Amino acid sequence: MFVTDIRKEFYDVVVNQRVALFVSPDIDALCACKVLQALFHCDQVQYTLVPVAGWQDLGTAFMEHKDLYINCSNVDLLETLQPEEDSVFFICDTHRPVDVVNVYNDTQIKLLIKQDDDLGVPSYDDIFRDDEEDEEEGEDSGNESDGSAEPSGKRRRYDECVCVCRREILFDYEQYEFHGTSAALVMFELAWVMSKDTKDMLWWSVIGVTDQWVHDKIPHMKYVTDIATLQRHVSRHNHRNEDEENSLSIDCMRITFEYDLRLVLYQHWSLYESICNSCYTSCSFKLWSINGQKKLQEFLADMGLPLKQVRQKFNSMDMAIKENLREVIEESANKFSMKDIRVQTFAVHFGFKNRFLASDVVHAAAALLENVEKDETPADNFIKALDCLSRSNLERLHLGIDLAKRKLKAIQQTVASCICTNLILSQGPFLYCHLLEGTPDVKLFSKPLALTLLCKYLLKAFVCSTRNKRCKILPLIMAAPLDVEKGTVIVLGIPPESETSDKKNFFGRAFEKAAESTSSRTLHDHFDTSVIELKMEDRGKFLDALITLLS
Amino acid sequence: MSLLTLRRNFFNVHVITTTKIYRENCLRWYIGDLASYDFIPKKYRHLSATNKFTMFCEKAVELIRELHRMGDGQLPAFNEDGIRQVLEEMKALYEQNQTDVNEAKTEGKSELIPSIKFRHSCLLRNQRCIAAYLYDRLLRIRALRWEYGSVLPTTIRFHMCAEEMEWFNQYKKSLATYMRSIGGEEGLDITQDMKPPKSLYIEVRCLKDHGEFEIDDGTVILLKKNSQHFLPRWKCEQLIRQGVLEHVIS
Repeated sequence: MFVTDIRKEFYDVVVNQRVALFVSPDIDALCACKVLQALFHCDQVQYTLVPVAGWQDLGTAFMEHKDLYINCSNVDLLETLQPEEDSVFFICDTHRPVDVVNVYNDTQIKLLIKQDDDLGVPSYDDIFRDDEEDEEEGEDSGNESDGSAEPSGKRRRYDECVCVCRREILFDYEQYEFHGTSAALVMFELAWVMSKDTKDMLWWSVIGVTDQWVHDKIPHMKYVTDIATLQRHVSRHNHRNEDEENSLSIDCMRITFEYDLRLVLYQHWSLYESICNSCYTSCSFKLWSINGQKKLQEFLADMGLPLKQVRQKFNSMDMAIKENLREVIEESANKFSMKDIRVQTFAVHFGFKNRFLASDVVHAAAALLENVEKDETPADNFIKALDCLSRSNLERLHLGIDLAKRKLKAIQQTVASCICTNLILSQGPFLYCHLLEGTPDVKLFSKPLALTLLCKYLLKAFVCSTRNKRCKILPLIMAAPLDVEKGTVIVLGIPPESETSDKKNFFGRAFEKAAESTSSRTLHDHFDTSVIELKMEDRGKFLDALITLLS
Repeated sequence: MSLLTLRRNFFNVHVITTTKIYRENCLRWYIGDLASYDFIPKKYRHLSATNKFTMFCEKAVELIRELHRMGDGQLPAFNEDGIRQVLEEMKALYEQNQTDVNEAKTEGKSELIPSIKFRHSCLLRNQRCIAAYLYDRLLRIRALRWEYGSVLPTTIRFHMCAEEMEWFNQYKKSLATYMRSIGGEEGLDITQDMKPPKSLYIEVRCLKDHGEFEIDDGTVILLKKNSQHFLPRWKCEQLIRQGVLEHVIS
């Protein structure tokens, strides 16, 4: 059931009880969790925070904690978890489509989702008509014990027709998977409605929205709309404090709206490295080829930036260069057909040294969350990533930034090698790429977020480099080794690359069907249905099934 | 340090003596260093009979040193052996003194008097050392009540002797009686909130699996590693001190 007044139906109910918060390993979920934690601290609501990585985790965690639940995932919970009559679930999730059982359950499940998102939930009558029909049929056949065969025959066909319709409607509804408004933004609006919002919460909701954009979950238009909403909040907060008489101390947190460059982590790295490792610039220049390198040198020469300056750490660059950097880069970028080098985003500023863009924090937190170093369990990583979002844990954030740099370099090198060795094969209805075990840094890509970034980067690079027009509109499936001992691979599918794509992904259902039809040993454990685990040996038949399914 | 000042500081006797035993004892300390050498002058060779140079009161000082080595608040095992040895030494000294006193009185040997005085001051020193040892241990045990609560962990209980346990129980009882007498009907638990608290509830993170934990309103929480909870402060303090939970300051 959708919650209309989030304050009355959710927060006022929750305030007097103990709550169990289940959070999935996703930066948006982490930010929403932080906002909610801050609200709970304010009102002294006792809670327990449990990180859950997938369905199995959710099941075990559910067994252990028996309270009111707040959750970040979206399939029919009642079926999977079988809770008691009086436990209530509040779901705040960005995955769409929303499961129909969850929507039409009045008592136990409440959805904290904005209804102005284009949800397209089929109406109740279309789907749940069967029960009534069945009952009627039972009664009628009871009465018409010796009734003629014809009327009942007709009715049977009608029922079949209804069943088929229902299945079709459901199939259409659940076929494409996409993402809705950021959970962090929903939580922030709750805080705003209660007038308990602070700059920290606003910053967290900014990070949540930026995460959706960085990991390509929402189309650009939606991102711009969300940023506009946030911009209003930012200006409201900024106007509140700054006057002529009382100006804020330098240590206070300031959030500013920026029309900043699309270069990843450029303020914490050198400009050159940032240009080489950002998806947008690297693909536009085609930096894996020698021509590309030459073009980059031309670009830098065009801007008049000496190589020595550009290779230094950004903070040590000459002030004269840094002052007009953005405008200079934009001008030159236009000449090299990079129209969107600047993007609307926010930056936070506290103390003399600390200035971070929202995307910097997203990359740092994602790198911490998926840290593959030894002795780091997923729960440890979750805690570290959660910590790095607070302002007081700057060393964690810097550590995250270093890890993110390594990750981005690894992605860049893998993409370059894949393109140069033509590892991407066209299988007909989709492109396919398989990362071999010996690839350097392949361990990094055993995690879904890192693999998603690699996938998107690779698809973009492929589209830029190939001349085959048909291949440019194909989606990409990528497989990377997950666990060498168990012999599993992680398989991920992304929709085709296009300017105005709405980022709807049909691979979730496709994977399920293919696995069923070939009885491959798969594990659909992730909350994102387009990511699955598969046994190495079943890879071949699984792919064949997919090809037949999608062509 | 010259032999003279050593004598004055150490034995607190102001008479210059030349008694054999006295000289021998000083030399024992002096020669103690030579114990590691192979060559010992003939005159003092009889001192090295047992190859171990000990002074009086050294065992007592060792007890003190042992206690001093263990940092604040830690209680080492009760050194039953050490105390016994010191008491034996005291007994030996006392008996020697007795015989000497009798001798001095009956035979009028006044040259025995300095050695009697010397042994007497050794006895007093031993007594001071043992008293300090026992008292310091009691202070540490008292601090344990404030840190761990009424039930001490078994490892610490093994380190206490029976009398110390008895003392601890008595102390618990009088503290409990006092706490009941203040703060109205229910009494006031003054061992909680040793530092003024900033908030009623605190956020804690579980560092190790602790199993189930019940809070005041009856609900049971599972403390699993790496889960975070928001719990009332007074419930968590014990567990934070034990290292099961960690206070998260954001």
